[in-house]
Amino acid sequence: MTTRTRLAIAGVAPVVLMAFVTVAGQNQPPEVKGSAPAAGWVQPRTPDGQPDIQGMWTNYTNTPFEVFDQSDRPDFYGGDIDGRGAGTGPNSFLNDMQGRKFTKGRALVVDPPSGRVPIMEWAEKQRDYRLLHIQDDWVNFTPWERCITRGVPGGIFPPGYGAGYQIVQGPGYVAIIYEMIHEARMIPVDGRPHLHSNVKLWNGDSRGRWEGNTLVVDVTNYNDKGNVATNVATQRVRSIPQSDQLHVVERFTRVDEKTINYEATIEDPKVFTAPWKVAMPMTLEPDYKMFEYACHEGNHAVPNTLSAGRAADKGTRAKTSQ
Amino acid sequence: MPHVVKHAFVSIAAAGMAVAMASCQSVPQPAASQAAAAAATNIPRQPDGKPNLNGIWQTIGSAHWDLENHIARSGPVLELGAIAAVPAGMSVVEGDTIPYQEWASKKKQENYDNWLTLDPEVKCYLPGIPRATYMPFPFQILQSHNSDMVMAYEYASASRVIKMGPTEPPPVDTWMGQSTGKWEGDTLVVDTIGFNDRTWFDRAGNFHSEALHVVERFTPKTSDLIEYEATIEDPKVFTRPWKIRVPLYRRQDKNAQLLEFKCVEFVEEMMYGHLRKKTGKEKPFAAARMRWP
Repeated sequence: MTTRTRLAIAGVAPVVLMAFVTVAGQNQPPEVKGSAPAAGWVQPRTPDGQPDIQGMWTNYTNTPFEVFDQSDRPDFYGGDIDGRGAGTGPNSFLNDMQGRKFTKGRALVVDPPSGRVPIMEWAEKQRDYRLLHIQDDWVNFTPWERCITRGVPGGIFPPGYGAGYQIVQGPGYVAIIYEMIHEARMIPVDGRPHLHSNVKLWNGDSRGRWEGNTLVVDVTNYNDKGNVATNVATQRVRSIPQSDQLHVVERFTRVDEKTINYEATIEDPKVFTAPWKVAMPMTLEPDYKMFEYACHEGNHAVPNTLSAGRAADKGTRAKTSQ
Repeated sequence: MPHVVKHAFVSIAAAGMAVAMASCQSVPQPAASQAAAAAATNIPRQPDGKPNLNGIWQTIGSAHWDLENHIARSGPVLELGAIAAVPAGMSVVEGDTIPYQEWASKKKQENYDNWLTLDPEVKCYLPGIPRATYMPFPFQILQSHNSDMVMAYEYASASRVIKMGPTEPPPVDTWMGQSTGKWEGDTLVVDTIGFNDRTWFDRAGNFHSEALHVVERFTPKTSDLIEYEATIEDPKVFTRPWKIRVPLYRRQDKNAQLLEFKCVEFVEEMMYGHLRKKTGKEKPFAAARMRWP
């Protein structure tokens, strides 16, 4: 990949800034404290009796997605495929600090205990192919870079910037408004069954229910075009495909006034050898203002990257070293 | 009182009493208000007495093709024949025509002539307000238990959160604008500012500048019908504010739910196809013949 390509991606990309930042991390224990409510705090309820989890939430964090392994190739996963460090390397951009105090836990992947996602070999090969051939075709980009979706649950993996999530509850529904990349996820909590299995969706079909004070969302009906994770901070898991067998169970538990503990259990027998689980806190920030993230409308990353590839084909630019 | 007469007619007709037209035409304003109040007794309400607008709604008509009067015409792709031909429609604009300034009238015609190149909908861009309301897709209103209200549109995953309370200055210009809402009786009034100049009102090239200011009124008439009115103000483009009115119908399908219309994947070939690496395995397809306008 040429420097120009990397700069093209970096300069305008709505997507590649997802930070993998280690600055300002404070070595603290893992942030998720389980689902027991804080002492003395009473879960507020909506007029129709649902636990009230409404508000403006964010999930800025410095906790790495997986536990690091010596075999990892951070530059490669971050899009800097020949490791020359120019452009969009994972350390090239700062997280959106905004005066926040970040904690740094061991890993967002809490199960298996190794903190490593049990990815099948074919899926890693497909990821590698796509990263190496990103200049060939837009299908080699993640759906985030294509401005289609960050997926479910990928949309709640910390994006590094634009990490606002507004939860709104009304009769029979919980809505999650994602700042990145503008998504209004309408989750029915009225007990209706999943869609027929022949309806396949990028973000799957979400069905919620309350278990005590926990919102449990069961997600099925995925298409096989998406990625289970899209941001650079997810490193080795970024660009790993999702299959139509993907099944996700999310749990949102408000444990105190300012904290929702979020968990997602992910199973996909075509892609992972075992189910795995991500856990992270979401923090109430009532004064946080979402900005419109008109992603596709400003997407120069895809055409510029492809354009650089075609120029390389003609020999007018140096070919990638890969 | 031409405005009052028309308003009364729309309200009553929308409530399913179109036969009242003849008598309605001489109804003075106070009676019209009473008629509106009377029509609001059978609408669903929230525990606090405010109307309950929750549900999945959609317009019927061809305002998305052209807000103004338009006769049927052939579509842009000859091979699609009747399938993509443009249906006729009556104007949804009060007074039938949009009061463009002279330069803007010419610009609108240029937009129309170059529709496929210029219409942001062709590229799956965010639709803006009010266009999102009357596109041929459902949208869902979620009225929250505290204050904010969500409007989620199936088209392009567009949405907006309507903050209930006073208008606030928007942080930046946006495609969907910044909406604040309040109740006036049984009418939800949504004030939206903070637009950019890149959205259109329809597929006929009707447009605005970044000075656009939209005030929408959602008035429930029955449990399944909302009268939607939008006042459009843009001193850079129009000679005066103007109004559109379209009915919003509740989707009655028992299994109605918003699905995905993530149209980016449908426009990538059109926008980026010339930049894709050729493999030699591409399936050839006949180039469609374009004809527009």
